[in-house]
Amino acid sequence: MLAVRNLIKQYGDFTAVDNVSFEASKGCVFGLLGPNGAGKSTTINCISGLLSPTSGHISVAGADIVKEGKKAKRSLGVVPQELALYEDLPAVENLKYWGKAYGLRGSELQSRVQEVLDYIGLADRARDLPKTFSGGMKRRLNFGCGIVHGPSVLLLDEPTVGVDPQSRQRLFEMVEAERDAGACVLYTTHYMEEAERLCDDLGIIDHGKLIATGTVNELKSQLSTRDVLQLNGDFPDTGITELISTLSERGMHDLELISQDEGVLTLTLSKASQHLPEIFAAITKMGGSVAETSLRSPNLETLFLLLTGKELRE
Amino acid sequence: MSFLVASFKKDLSRWWQDPLAVLLWLGIPFLIGGLITAMVDGGDGASPTGILLIHDQDESLFSGLIAGAYSQGQLGELISVEQVTLDEGTARINAGEASGFLIIPDGFGEAFLEEKPVTLTLKTNPSQTILPGIMQDVTEILLDAGFYAQALFGPEIEQINSSVSDTVPNDIFVADIAVRIQGKIETVSPLLFPPALDLKVVEPPPSEPRPNIALLFLPGIVLMAILFSAQGLSADFWKERATGTLRRLVSTSGLLSRFVYGKALAAAVVIGLLAGITLTLGFLYHGLAWGKFVPSLIWVTVSGVGLFAWFAALQMLFPTQKAANLLTSILLFPLLMMGGSFFPLEALPDGIAAIGRMSPNGFVVDRLTKELTSATDWTFDAKSWAIVLAMTISGLGICTWRLQTGFARR
Repeated sequence: MLAVRNLIKQYGDFTAVDNVSFEASKGCVFGLLGPNGAGKSTTINCISGLLSPTSGHISVAGADIVKEGKKAKRSLGVVPQELALYEDLPAVENLKYWGKAYGLRGSELQSRVQEVLDYIGLADRARDLPKTFSGGMKRRLNFGCGIVHGPSVLLLDEPTVGVDPQSRQRLFEMVEAERDAGACVLYTTHYMEEAERLCDDLGIIDHGKLIATGTVNELKSQLSTRDVLQLNGDFPDTGITELISTLSERGMHDLELISQDEGVLTLTLSKASQHLPEIFAAITKMGGSVAETSLRSPNLETLFLLLTGKELRE
Repeated sequence: MSFLVASFKKDLSRWWQDPLAVLLWLGIPFLIGGLITAMVDGGDGASPTGILLIHDQDESLFSGLIAGAYSQGQLGELISVEQVTLDEGTARINAGEASGFLIIPDGFGEAFLEEKPVTLTLKTNPSQTILPGIMQDVTEILLDAGFYAQALFGPEIEQINSSVSDTVPNDIFVADIAVRIQGKIETVSPLLFPPALDLKVVEPPPSEPRPNIALLFLPGIVLMAILFSAQGLSADFWKERATGTLRRLVSTSGLLSRFVYGKALAAAVVIGLLAGITLTLGFLYHGLAWGKFVPSLIWVTVSGVGLFAWFAALQMLFPTQKAANLLTSILLFPLLMMGGSFFPLEALPDGIAAIGRMSPNGFVVDRLTKELTSATDWTFDAKSWAIVLAMTISGLGICTWRLQTGFARR
C-alpha cells in the first residue's frame, strides 16, 4: 500500500533522510520511531508531496507521488503534527472544505462529513468555530480533516505532541479504528509507549538513517534479558574499563558498557538490582560517586539506546 | 471547479467575520477624500476680485474716463476701483492690500489732447500674478484706444474739452459737433463696416467641459480604498501558512491554482463591494451619468484583483511575514502618491504624472478619470483591458508557483 525505496532528501550538504526504504501494508500501522530531528517529519513530508525527494521512489496505493501526484494524493490522508484548521470556519465547514479538496461531492460528502463528526465526537459542536474548542477537540477535528475522504493510506506525524492523556487515548482508538477498517497507517513518534501500543511494524530512525525495522516482537527479540542501568554522578575519566573488568571477575559476566558521557554511565547487566551494592562500592573505591540511579527493563527505548548509544528523547 | 467554488466560499465566509477591516479600508479613503473634496469644492463660487487704487492728479474728463473704464462690464466683476491719495495708495500697495496702484499725473488730459508724451504709473502687487496682469493689459488697451480716438476725432474732442471748462454748451454747438462726428464716421464706415480685413469665422470643435477639480479626486480615492483592501487581503496567504492549512492543502489532490483563483474570486467580491460603495457615493455627489457606473465598477474590480494578485505574489516572495508586510506597506504609500490618490494626475508635474500613469494603480486611475470626465459614453479600450487582465493572470500565476515551490512549507 505504501512503499518507500531508497529515499534521500538533502539540503545542500546536509542529508536529512539517508537512503530510507520500508513498506507498509493494508490494515497495518507502521511506526517510525526516532528522536527529534531524526528525519521522521522529512520522510512524511516527502510522502505527502510537501517536499520533493532528492532521489528515491515513493508509491502510494500503487501511484508514484512525484509522477502521479494527484492520483497518489487521492489515496492519502495527512494528520500533521501541528493543527491545520480554519479556526474561523465552523467545524462542519472545515470538514466539508477538506472533503472537497479531495474531490468529494454532493450526498457522498454530506454523509461522510456527518460520519466523521460522529466519529470524532463533535456532532453537537458542528456549527461552532474551532477557536472556541479545547485543545483536545481541535486535535480530534484535525484528525477528522485528515480522514474525511476515507484515505487508504493515513500519515500521522507525531499527532499526540502536547495532547492531554484523555485526548491521546481517544486518538489511539481512532488510529486503531482506521487500521481495523483497512487503512495503512504511517505513524511517527518519539514516544516508545505509543509505538509499542499502536504499531504492528516499526522502523527506528536516527540521523536520517533507518537503523532497524521489523515487528515490535522481532525488534524486542534483538534485546537480551539484561537490564539497563544508568548511573549519574562523578566518575574518573580513566579507570572505567578497569571497573568493568573488576566487576566481571566478581560474577557479573554479562556486564557491558553502553556509553560513557560526562557524568552519565550506562551499563547493561542481568539482574542488575541484585548487584547494585557491589557496583556502588567499586565506584567509590576508584574515587567516584553515584548521585542518581535508574534501572530499566529491556524495551524499545533500550533497543534504541543499544543501537545509537543515546536516549530516544535526547 | 467545485474546489474553486469551495475555496471562494471558504475565504468569503472567513473574511466576512472581520467587518472592521472592511470598514477601515473604506473609512480611511472616505476621510481623506472627504477632506480633499471639502477643501477644493467647498467655496461659495465667487470669483476672486482685486483692488485697483487710483490716484488721479489730473482730475480731467479724460483721466475720469480711464478710471471709469476699469469698472465697466465683466471687468467690474474682477476689479474694484478705489480713489486714494498718493500717500494712502503707496502705503496700501506696499502693505500688499491691493493688486495695483495707478497714478494719473497732472496734465494727462492736456497732453492727450495735444498728443504729447505722458507717463501713467502702475504699481503692481508682486505676490499676485493674474489680477495685476489684467490691470496692466487693460491700461495698455485704454491708452491705445485713446490714441486712435485722438487721431480720428482730435478737433472735436478738443472743442468739447474747452466747452466743458467754460459754460454749458448750447444746442447749436452740440448739433454741430454731432454732425461733424457723424460725417467722419460715414467717411470711414466703408473701411470699418464691413472691415477691410477679410475675417473668416472658424467654429472651434466642441470642447470637453472642464471637469470639476473635486471629480478629478474621485478615481484616486476609489483606488485608495482598493489598494488598502488589496494589500490587506493579500496577507491572507501568510495567515493560512501560519495556521498550517497551506501544508495540508499541498498534500491534497485539490489543484493549487483553483485554491488561488478561489481566493482571488473572494477578493473580487470584497473589492467590488468597496468599489461599489465609493463609486455610488461619487456618482451621487458629482451627478455623473449612471450609464458609466457598471463599466466603472467592473474596471475597478478587475484591476483591484490584479493589484491583490501582485501584492500577494510580492508577499510570497519574501522569507518572513514581517518582511513581506513591511515591503508592501512601504510600497503602498508611494503608489498612492504617484498613482493619483493624494493628488490628481492632472495636478502633478508632467514628468511625475507620466511616471504615475505607468504605475499599476495610476494606470487604472488615469483610465477611470478619462471615462468619468468624458462627455461621451464609456469607451471599450481593448488594450487597457488586456493590460489589466495580463497583470491579474500573471500575479495569480506567481502565487500558484510559490505555493508549489515551497511557500506552503513552514
